[in-house]
Amino acid sequence: MNAHLQTSRVSAALERTGAWLLAFLWVLPLAYALWAAIHPSAYSAHFTLNAPLTLENFVKAWNAAPFARYFMNTFMLVTMILTAQLVLCTLAAYAFARFKFYGRELAFVLVLLQLMIMPDVLIVENYRTMTAAGIVDTIPAIGLPYMASAFGIFLLRQTFKTVPSELDEAARVEGAGPLQVLLKLYVPLAKPIYIAYGLVSISYHWNNFLWPLIITNSVSTRPLTVGLQIFASSDQGIDWSLIAAATLMTSAPLLTAFLLFQRQFVQSFMRAGIR
Amino acid sequence: MKWLSSLVGMAILALASTAMAADVELSFYYPVAVGGPITKTIDGYAADFEKENPGIKIKAIYAGTYQDTLVKALTAFKSGEPPDVAVLLSTDMFTLIDEDAVMPFDPLLQSDADKAWAKSFYPAFMENSQTGGKTWGIPFQRSTIVMYWNKDAFKAAGLNPDKAPDNWDELVAYGQKLTKRDGSNVSQWGVEIPSTGFPYWLFQGLTTANGVRLMNDAGTETYFDKATVIEALQYWVDLSRKEKIQPTGTIEWGTTPKDFFERKTAIMWTTTGNLTNVKANAPFPFGVAMLPEHNGRGSPTGGGNFYLFKKMTAEKSAAAIKFVKWMTTPERAADWGIKTGYVAVRPDAWDTPALKQYVADFPAAAVARDQLKYAVAELSTHDNQRVTKALNDGLQAALNGTKTPEQAMKDAQQEATRILRSYK
Repeated sequence: MNAHLQTSRVSAALERTGAWLLAFLWVLPLAYALWAAIHPSAYSAHFTLNAPLTLENFVKAWNAAPFARYFMNTFMLVTMILTAQLVLCTLAAYAFARFKFYGRELAFVLVLLQLMIMPDVLIVENYRTMTAAGIVDTIPAIGLPYMASAFGIFLLRQTFKTVPSELDEAARVEGAGPLQVLLKLYVPLAKPIYIAYGLVSISYHWNNFLWPLIITNSVSTRPLTVGLQIFASSDQGIDWSLIAAATLMTSAPLLTAFLLFQRQFVQSFMRAGIR
Repeated sequence: MKWLSSLVGMAILALASTAMAADVELSFYYPVAVGGPITKTIDGYAADFEKENPGIKIKAIYAGTYQDTLVKALTAFKSGEPPDVAVLLSTDMFTLIDEDAVMPFDPLLQSDADKAWAKSFYPAFMENSQTGGKTWGIPFQRSTIVMYWNKDAFKAAGLNPDKAPDNWDELVAYGQKLTKRDGSNVSQWGVEIPSTGFPYWLFQGLTTANGVRLMNDAGTETYFDKATVIEALQYWVDLSRKEKIQPTGTIEWGTTPKDFFERKTAIMWTTTGNLTNVKANAPFPFGVAMLPEHNGRGSPTGGGNFYLFKKMTAEKSAAAIKFVKWMTTPERAADWGIKTGYVAVRPDAWDTPALKQYVADFPAAAVARDQLKYAVAELSTHDNQRVTKALNDGLQAALNGTKTPEQAMKDAQQEATRILRSYK
């Protein structure tokens, strides 16, 4: 056995250990949440194998706030934002990538500039805009500031640029109009990017907290994250079992989706080159 | 003719006010997340108020924690749509004044009855509600720190289960008897004074007992590096490091009650706001006592006040003051105290039959009230968030052993002085 093979084996073993270690660390909080959620709160810090199992924490957490409504709000919010983002970003990216028009570079720089600004800085200004539009405390008001996503435009533009222009020209020779070319050629080719971007967008808006908190006032518009607040008031002390149950409950849709579409997600992330 | 014109004027005014009355809607920001029992209580109050005061609508907006509510209220204010009434921390008074967001109550309180109302609250609560001769906040959900002890644990340690440690030395002596060790493991600690979230507040329970205040009334000076303050911190640190009757490092505020329920600590310091929680969840008989004394006795007050935001119309501010008065009547204050565990904010609330009955059944509820005569204002200065952070960081550094108490308090004082320089 030569030395070269041996080193590669050692490094493979090291890599495997490292991966297991990272995976273990990653799953630890989740495992704890699961433990705390399915046992009575007296066992949330005692790890006894024969501790009684219970689903009561989930029932309590579910009844602590109108979570059914919050789920629906979050679902509507995320769907609305993603739909609007996909339409707007596709069209904008297409224009930036394939059309020549006066001021294109300047417009693109302005879009990129948006990437540099933290959305939190704009909260007061956004609130003022929503007040002027008369839509404070509505679901569209939560989504509106995020719809024209600079990140999405940038990502799709870069992808569209990698499409060989020969394909584009061939399609046009066949008689396809600009919109047809976009839908039949660019969009299908960018599918992995769309999936990756969609996942980032969904998880970001599923978890977004500050802006929804500020712009919403009522149960009928608040998303899950704001609803989860009820368990955060530490004046009365913290019940880890309830928090764990509520957290699992609210992140369950995302977790299941990830497990179901794991392969597609990982692949599209690798192709899209984003984290 | 003069009477005629004044009559016409009054008629117009009356007409206008009835016409306007139908429209007055007060937005009321309240710091709690939607869904809990407290939401139902507040909704009930709002509904009762609307029934008794036709023409005024209360739109209660539940905004999460105090922090979140403050952010939300200030954002709305800066965008030109402030809330009308809000319950926010009493310590945020200077912040709200500096932002020019709130208005004093005084101009709205003209009649003698109104002025008497403003004086009907416990003076200890008004310390955090007045500055520069004006009243900026009206006490609503206020608390103090008290000491809870496990009577079973006291009995097991050979102590009188009905007597809590009354001074610092006794706390140490009792703590040593109560701390159960097997080898290097401790199965029950003597005492836990939580030190996360807002350690400065618990620390004030020690400094006040040591006869020292942390800031001046104008909120422009702090006294973190006074010898008596350092001494108080030394005592706190010693509980862990020298006497070994308290866990070392910082102690989580949120889980301290749980440690108490699970008998991991025999004594805990926490807010009176926890009384209802402890009553419902402690699996053993427990007692509630004032904080132990040293060179004096005392505890800081805490909790939230009513504030009135600027930019209200005259009709709205009249309705707002009506609402605040209605929410703080003796009966309401008593009811609120019973339902939540907060201290009823005015002495005459304790004379109501409901609260008298409650105290008779559950004497622990009166401990916080009796402690009020020794209570001082919670730490509050201009640029409050940053100043308290300077102190919190110092306290945690000392408790974690990365700085000596003296060094920690000197650094905190230096930082606070720097922050407050522009307000002098």
